[in-house]
Amino acid sequence: MPAPLADSGAELVTRASRGDSGAFEALYRQHVGRVYGLCLRMTGQPESAEDLTQDTFVNAWRSLPGYEGRSSFSTWLHRIAVNAVLAKRRSRQGRNEVSMTDEAGEQMEFEVEAAMDEATPIDIERAIAGLPAGARDIVVLHGIYGYSHEEAA
Amino acid sequence: MLAKAAQLPKDVAPSRDLWPGIAARLGEAQGAPAKPAFRWPLALAAALAVASVSALLTWSLLQDSQPAQPAVVADVGTTAGEFVPVSYGPNSGLSAEELAVRDDLAAQFRGAFEDLRPETREAVVKNLAVMQAAADEIDAALAKHPASGMLKGMLFGTYKQEMQLYSTVVTARDGLTRRT
Repeated sequence: MPAPLADSGAELVTRASRGDSGAFEALYRQHVGRVYGLCLRMTGQPESAEDLTQDTFVNAWRSLPGYEGRSSFSTWLHRIAVNAVLAKRRSRQGRNEVSMTDEAGEQMEFEVEAAMDEATPIDIERAIAGLPAGARDIVVLHGIYGYSHEEAA
Repeated sequence: MLAKAAQLPKDVAPSRDLWPGIAARLGEAQGAPAKPAFRWPLALAAALAVASVSALLTWSLLQDSQPAQPAVVADVGTTAGEFVPVSYGPNSGLSAEELAVRDDLAAQFRGAFEDLRPETREAVVKNLAVMQAAADEIDAALAKHPASGMLKGMLFGTYKQEMQLYSTVVTARDGLTRRT
């Protein structure tokens, strides 16, 4: 499960699902940092992350009537964000990405791991951005956002 | 590396405000969240139906020197022959006094109703069913838009149509000839 976010409460979600764009903007303000952070770390590209963040909130707005509250709003929103990133990656012909199981990917991950001891947060961010897509997803989703291994896979 | 990653902040602020772009796309989104059912058109249609059938019925009653030309009414599946006054919902905003006046007039109408020709009685019953459907639609719309002056006006219009129907029949009773 992703790390729980500070949900805005049922009231904003209910109002937004009824078409209140003001309530939805409030939800955006509360959640944009985490959604953008997720998209940025999964893509490694600020511009793509901004586009994907916007896609995530537009998709969430469209899907709100189907949101039944079984999971928290933030968890639900995260799922939309992850799906948006993966869809965009597929559309960009993900075959160009190096999978975690590729030999080159394993080597890169090993080198990154070796450099972690003295790393600053900025170094870690760079290292994560430099990982192959599959490995990066695991580190971002499991390491930063608290997904289980199964969910991250 | 996972341990180090877990220490990173989860939130990252984008370099610019992304909301304006999102808001613009929300306006274009075909699949915007389910907005409350906008029932005004239905309510308006119902109110217009009330006005039109009531006018026809009134005309029919006043032309009653000729036999049976029942008013044209919507088919709402009502069993003909039973007089049932319109029941207004909890959102109607009608006062107790207004309802009492209506009940008094309806009581007078009930006596006159029995003197009407069967086909005219059927037309009256169907008109009242149309009014009931309109009152229900408008009441449902008022539940979602309780401050709407337009809906309140439509509801009161239905009330007035009902009153006019009773009044027309009661007033014309003496001129109507019983033809069974």
